[in-house]
Amino acid sequence: MRIGIDVGGTHTDAVILDGDTVIASTKSLTSADVISGVESALDTVIKEAAVSQDKIKTVMIGTTQFTNAIVERRELSPMAAVRIGLPSGKGMPPMVDWPQDMVEAIGAQVHMLHGGYLYDGFPVADLRDDEIDALIKNLLTHKIKNVAIASAFSPMNAQPEIIVSERIKKAIPDARITLSHNFGRLGLMERENAAIMNTTLLPFADRVVTSFLGALKSRGLNCPAYISQNDGTLMSSEFVRDYPALTFASGPTNSLRGAFKLTGLEDAIVVDIGGTTSDIGVLQGGFPRESNVVVNIGGIRTNFRMPDIMAIGLGGGSIVSEDGMSIGPQSVGHRLVTEGVVFGGQTLTTTDIIVAAGDETIGNKSRVSSVSKQTVANAKATMRRMLDQNIEMMKPGGKDIPVILVGGGAVLVTDGLAAASKLYRPENAGVANAIGAAIAQVGGEAERMISYRSISREDALKKVTQAATDKAVSAGADISTIRAVDIEETAIPYMDEGATRLRVKVIGELAG
Amino acid sequence: MSTLTSIGLEHLDDLALGSVFLATGGGGDPHVPKLITREAIKTYGNVSLLSPQDVADDAFIVPIGSVGAPTVSLELLPSLNEAAKTLEAFEAYVGKKIDAVASFEIGGGNSLIPICAAAAKGLPVIDGDGMGRALPEAQMMSYPIAGVRPTPALAFDYAGNQAIFKTASTEVYERHIRAFSMAAGGIVTTAEHAMTGKQLKEAVIPGTVSFSIALGRLLREQRGQADMLLAPLQQLFGASIYGECRLIYTGKVIDKTTRIIGGYDIGEATIEAFSGEGNNLHINIKNEYLLARQGERVRASVPDLITIVDYESGEPINAERLRYGHRVAVFATGCPAFYHTAAALKVVAPRCFGFDINYVPLEDL
Repeated sequence: MRIGIDVGGTHTDAVILDGDTVIASTKSLTSADVISGVESALDTVIKEAAVSQDKIKTVMIGTTQFTNAIVERRELSPMAAVRIGLPSGKGMPPMVDWPQDMVEAIGAQVHMLHGGYLYDGFPVADLRDDEIDALIKNLLTHKIKNVAIASAFSPMNAQPEIIVSERIKKAIPDARITLSHNFGRLGLMERENAAIMNTTLLPFADRVVTSFLGALKSRGLNCPAYISQNDGTLMSSEFVRDYPALTFASGPTNSLRGAFKLTGLEDAIVVDIGGTTSDIGVLQGGFPRESNVVVNIGGIRTNFRMPDIMAIGLGGGSIVSEDGMSIGPQSVGHRLVTEGVVFGGQTLTTTDIIVAAGDETIGNKSRVSSVSKQTVANAKATMRRMLDQNIEMMKPGGKDIPVILVGGGAVLVTDGLAAASKLYRPENAGVANAIGAAIAQVGGEAERMISYRSISREDALKKVTQAATDKAVSAGADISTIRAVDIEETAIPYMDEGATRLRVKVIGELAG
Repeated sequence: MSTLTSIGLEHLDDLALGSVFLATGGGGDPHVPKLITREAIKTYGNVSLLSPQDVADDAFIVPIGSVGAPTVSLELLPSLNEAAKTLEAFEAYVGKKIDAVASFEIGGGNSLIPICAAAAKGLPVIDGDGMGRALPEAQMMSYPIAGVRPTPALAFDYAGNQAIFKTASTEVYERHIRAFSMAAGGIVTTAEHAMTGKQLKEAVIPGTVSFSIALGRLLREQRGQADMLLAPLQQLFGASIYGECRLIYTGKVIDKTTRIIGGYDIGEATIEAFSGEGNNLHINIKNEYLLARQGERVRASVPDLITIVDYESGEPINAERLRYGHRVAVFATGCPAFYHTAAALKVVAPRCFGFDINYVPLEDL
């Protein structure tokens, strides 16, 4: 058996899975200190399932705490950002395009050193001992222990990052250092941004992991704990101490993965209807289809991959116009329970419409008897049209595809959807995120810029796949179960024929 | 006409956004050029924008920009004074002071590099460029088409290494400069196609810098569903050197394949209507979106502009980023009159890109 926990901005959910079966689940408000909410969610599900703690083999946690820390500029620690790339990029230091309040919030020291490599492995410049010595002296003077290091083309040759890191560790043995090549993708500034955000979160990551492990231990759970990443895979809780930034945006991914688990449908549209929005995503082969746009986190550009989600302003609290012809994007949100008409309020919401239509019995139905039949019919048609149109746009290539409804607002859909070949409303859809966390696997990813002129495609694939596999194993995967799930080759314009960015993602079951 | 006379920090986001629309899928992501230009303006101050008609006939005008693979500049970042040093090295070589700088192509990152150079050198920048869009090869620029010699040209790399070019033709120059940029890490800054003010007036596509800023502002202010963009875009383009603007298709990308041939990203994208009805739209790509066809029917072709935008945000998408599943709207825009001339069509007509069709201007399709 395993426990899945999802710590969101509003709700903390927990489930216990026995194989594929949900045997207990709970949904509660996220507490201000986060951990007491997690503890009470744990207590609730353990009690409900009536299982002894030693039956629980693993605990998986999805959390938005690190994303929120960046967005809200809190829990950030002082650090130094080191770029290795001079003489290129002079006058374009790290964080040059960051929002000013974020730069101030982390108060990072910035250093630029000579070094790095070109696309073809020729050095940009040699590392300089005097520059490294001056850097270390500066770190010592300012008592800075958290350091992010990024060098030009480090996904292809990480030596400059590794050499400088080792020199720092020799002088400052307890230094915490993030190397940008561990964040994979090409794009020096985006990779460096990820490394800097990761570094400034390191002390907070220690506190979060320690408090999670403490909560588990105090509940008699001595099994290993894992935390979910943005691509729907897991990392060990110890790994998160070093890579908290990899948790960014794991929520939508877990919701999609949970919908897959609840239905077994590998290819489907998932509509997660909440209070304010419906988030429409696509499952392909059981994993979220990824978005291809640049992802901003707290106003900072990154090259993290995120699920392709279309959010539309339709939820259980969305405000309905008097004639029912227009809905949202304004919503009463979590104030639905006071402002919605059936709850004694004055604002006509989508929830009031389905009560008036007799589809659901929520609140006081007599309060919506004055809403005209025409308004109810119009509003229901409007909701259906909004979902149908947007599902059509997300649907891959014209095929008929099933739709899975999850989230508390799923009750809004009463008469089926034209865009869906079949409509699924799985049980436990309200805790899909926690289920998604509970079923996650372990992944690894690597990317290189290569030329098929100097290496055969087969050898290049082998090499990059090996690098991805090494990462998956170090994150806790069982090597015998690892398989490549995504291979992306992007030809590079204005370069030699055969110049290609090759990216491989592998996935495997948890070891042990 | 625009009355913009100076470019400051407040114009850079709009210029970059407008330049991606005009880049018709190519030109490279202007993000890094925008950042370096922002640092240059912060350090050296605003840049004055000079209308071509206000340039003295005997003024010495030098186009400047990046040549190479924009993808490389994601790792090999430009330096603040790289473009200005390129100009200084060029001045030293030709023994002549530069009066103003100009852009090769308004589409993509090269809309910004001249501004970065002009800021650091304290020179004005010409409100205009050599393409009015983005095109893959140097000989397709209006400057050589109007008879401006490409060389002497000077290329400058990240470490300050330099090369001087003297070639017989722009085609040969294009080959040599590409070879040098590959050897220098994939991207270099060049000063080339130097000309007099008199030549500039014949050769430049005028007003495109201020136009790109206005276009970017429109896209920012009207951010949202692509069909809502059509009316304001028609108004803006209709009053400019471009003229016609049409929304030719909305749908999702169901196929996109490109591969590198001779340094160019060549391939095709297929877009299926949201309704699933009617013929799919096929887009041929050679770095830029060059030809849009529905079945046998040509909807738009080079040198007219084909721009693909994200359906929900209206944000233009370059060809490297266009992927399966993308929900898009496709706009077609008329090219500046310069590209309707016989001399221009000799190098930019659809046949120059291997398409077996004659050019029919958008407004006649």
